[in-house]
Amino acid sequence: MANTNRCLLSVDNLKTYFPIRKGLLRRTVGYIKAVDGISFGIGAGQALGLVGESGCGKTTVARSIVRLVPPTEGKVVFDQVDVLSADRDELRELRRQISLIFQDPFSSLNPRMTVGNIIGEPLKIQKKTASREVTERVAVLLSKVGLSPGHINRYPHEFSGGQRQRIGIARALALEPKLVICDEPVSALDVSIQSQILNLLKDLQEEFGLTYLFIAHDLAVIEFSCDIVAVMYMGRIVEQAAAEELYRNPLHPYTSALMSAIPQVDPSLRGRRTALGGEVPSAFNPPAGCPFHPRCPSANSVCRKQMPALEEKSDYEGHFVACWRKGQ
Amino acid sequence: MGWWTRGSHLSEHRKILKTEQPKGRSLWKDGVRRLRRRKLAMVCLAVVVLYFLLAGFLYLAELFDWQVGPIRWQQEVGKSYQPPSRENIFGTDIFGQSVLRKTLYGAKISMTVALCASFISLAIGVPLGAIAGYSRGVVDEIIVWVYSTLSSIPYILLILAFAVVLRDKTLFGYKLTGITSVYLAIGLTSWVGICRLIRGEVIKHKNREYVLAAKSYGSSGRRIIFKHLMPNVFHLVIIDFSLRFVAFIHAEVILSFLGLGEATRPSWGAMINDARIELSRGVWWQMAAATVAIFFISLALNIFGDALRDSLDPKLRIQ
Amino acid sequence: MVGNGTLLSVENVSTHFFSEEGVTRAVQDVSFSIQKGKTFALVGESGCGKSVTALSIMRLVPAPGGKIVGGQIVFEGENLSALSEKQMRDVRGNKIAMIFQEPMTSLNPVYTVGNQIVEAIRLHQKKSTGRAWADAAEMLRKVGIADPDRRVREYPHQMSGGMRQRVMIAMAVSCEPTLLIADEPTTALDVTIQAQILDLLDELQKQNGMSILLITHDLGVVAERADDVAVMYASRIAEVADSRPLFAEPLHPYTQGLLKSLPRLGLSDKRLRTIPGTVPEPLHFPGGCKFHPRCPIGFDDKRCQTIEPELREVRPGRRVGCWYAPGYETKEEFKEYESKYGEHKSVPAEC
Repeated sequence: MANTNRCLLSVDNLKTYFPIRKGLLRRTVGYIKAVDGISFGIGAGQALGLVGESGCGKTTVARSIVRLVPPTEGKVVFDQVDVLSADRDELRELRRQISLIFQDPFSSLNPRMTVGNIIGEPLKIQKKTASREVTERVAVLLSKVGLSPGHINRYPHEFSGGQRQRIGIARALALEPKLVICDEPVSALDVSIQSQILNLLKDLQEEFGLTYLFIAHDLAVIEFSCDIVAVMYMGRIVEQAAAEELYRNPLHPYTSALMSAIPQVDPSLRGRRTALGGEVPSAFNPPAGCPFHPRCPSANSVCRKQMPALEEKSDYEGHFVACWRKGQ
Repeated sequence: MGWWTRGSHLSEHRKILKTEQPKGRSLWKDGVRRLRRRKLAMVCLAVVVLYFLLAGFLYLAELFDWQVGPIRWQQEVGKSYQPPSRENIFGTDIFGQSVLRKTLYGAKISMTVALCASFISLAIGVPLGAIAGYSRGVVDEIIVWVYSTLSSIPYILLILAFAVVLRDKTLFGYKLTGITSVYLAIGLTSWVGICRLIRGEVIKHKNREYVLAAKSYGSSGRRIIFKHLMPNVFHLVIIDFSLRFVAFIHAEVILSFLGLGEATRPSWGAMINDARIELSRGVWWQMAAATVAIFFISLALNIFGDALRDSLDPKLRIQ
Repeated sequence: MVGNGTLLSVENVSTHFFSEEGVTRAVQDVSFSIQKGKTFALVGESGCGKSVTALSIMRLVPAPGGKIVGGQIVFEGENLSALSEKQMRDVRGNKIAMIFQEPMTSLNPVYTVGNQIVEAIRLHQKKSTGRAWADAAEMLRKVGIADPDRRVREYPHQMSGGMRQRVMIAMAVSCEPTLLIADEPTTALDVTIQAQILDLLDELQKQNGMSILLITHDLGVVAERADDVAVMYASRIAEVADSRPLFAEPLHPYTQGLLKSLPRLGLSDKRLRTIPGTVPEPLHFPGGCKFHPRCPIGFDDKRCQTIEPELREVRPGRRVGCWYAPGYETKEEFKEYESKYGEHKSVPAEC
């Protein structure tokens, strides 16, 4: 990782398993390994992107980090505080410093609360701020995200999807967090609005010195918004590198397949299609060895038996791959 | 102070906040507006209000001793069982009392019973449902077990049991008269439906992203239940209330039928109960009057309740 | 543009919805034609009316409330608007088939997959149950589902999203329709599965020679798979063209803005170009050209604010609805503008 930036968030071998209970006595018959050993670090002021298709575990990673979902194993250190073993007061403070932006602008805002109350509630809970000051801060936040402060008494359903997402961003910024986790912030928005929100997120990062953990399934969005990209498949990181480096030189077969599957408007940007057959296997019964081998065009016998570890490729600093074939 | 003052034009914002702040259009206002457009529902609402006003007036009369009715209903005041005539529009009962007067008085008892029973069942069912739906786990299992057991016992037997036990007992120094035991019994046995409903809705909303967001900035469980979940399931309470009211009026009738109701004052259930014997003598007007009175309030509440559901249901809104 | 190879011709179709809130003009004066064996894409964002257009073709506009108020739809030489409901039912599923975005809600969860395909087959073809089931399994194999004889007896919830979409496609092509309407068929799917499904549609198109009306908001999909494109905005068509010329040289400011605002892999943009403002709601469309409040040229132009530009053919094979598209204005209109508003706005080289 970049050693120049102080490491703000460090995740070490994070695992989150969901038990499956069957039968009258609710016995645990197995586990869904949503997150199966994730490690990464984000420097202060950086943006790290987690990209992958549905079911790869990226949303679970985000929720495990803030303990909205209880992780099973691993270590998460935020600003030198051990998150997973924090007590109630420490956790409360962490909830102030890490905030989330959610995907669905229609269900991430309480339909019965005014915009002012939605954005101001974190302030009322955490800082016990006086109500006049809360109103002023809400007004400032609304203007920072590009909405008029006059909207403060309106309800979410009076706004469009893009505007609602701005409200969600304002709420996430209310407590002046250091780290903002953006969980698919533009996937549910119209194309012409996506670029507005992406620009806004970038501007806010610059203005307030924020650190982002960006989660998306769209590689182009991630490449625009992030400095470092980690590709996830079935609960593990299969490749990680700086954004431009990843695009220029994908080493893992899944990354190349993902890139080539993206339909491109500009014919000159279309690469050779490496068609990816099959489906994502069930998380309940993952295949042995490398989880990608059933669909991998270059799998061999080692791939079927042993799980490859995420290792740095020797010639490229900062570029990590988990593959026995290592970009052959 | 950090971000707030850094280049943030606070004075301009203060100006905007003082002047241009249009009131938002809440979902409730939307629903009420939609409801007002349904003329039939508004007529039904008027009918319901009329019944309530009648009951209220009778309460005031009792309070201020306005002598609008006989002191004792069991007094012989005229010829028994006179059929409907110009003098008595609905005829007379066995004591010669005007059936019309009895019917109007009966409203007081029915409305009281239904209202009190509704409040009791809501007071028990809503919090239990919310807690069960939100906490899941052991607490949920216990509550579900309780109401499953309760609802497996035949309704009538349960009410009977409660009514008989509560009769002639004292609660907080108040002697439990006939109707008090009636509505306590009904209320204590009818909370299961609303409890199930609330629990289901809370479970549905619990995993919505706005609840997750509230957790992420440190909301406590209690705050989430009362500030976030309850307002979003409350419309169901209102709809359930209006529809259940009818059921409680009918329950009062049944209890009177079984002889558990109010003995000294007229009620629709008692009138119908008396009709069992009267019909064999050709006296139909007491039953007819009570039935007509019950029919109209039930019809009005049913129609209004349906209109309420259509207007308040978020799914029918244009997003 | 109605030639011999025209399969479907939509002519000035308008569809409105009537509710107590007012009239929603979901589709206004939409015209385009689909050639035999080709893929026609209808592109636009939410609320632009593309799905309602598809439903109008199938005469499945939700009633009460929705009604086709104008225009006509000619399919294989026959005017669909003049058919009775019974005759229309013979067309639906048989000659024109439709697949939808969310396979979980378009498939009935209480019937097996095989049951649903068999129902579709037996509705339009006289086949015995045994034959129909055999055909159903064969269809599943054709759409690339492994182990079709086992799968045919499964329920929708036992299958993944991609597989359910394949089942939908199998149902749709079971009667060999000449036109397949695909309404956002891959929007709910992962990008690798999306590629598989689109490849499958290409395959089936080659085999059966059927035309595809592809409705989507994804410009990349359109660029790679469509032969002809119509861009819709706020209930109207902004421009129509063959696919390659449209992307090489978009003529309508909306299309230009859309293409410029897409984040693209491999080009390190520091900031994305945007279209300001928001997509208008059907109940509150702006006057004049519907795009003008967000248009770099039209936002302060009196003519764009008041008069809606109709679709005109500015070049062979290219129709646009914009006053400032090159070749749109006639000389008279140019003079009229100058006399009315003074200095004429020239189209800048770069919007």
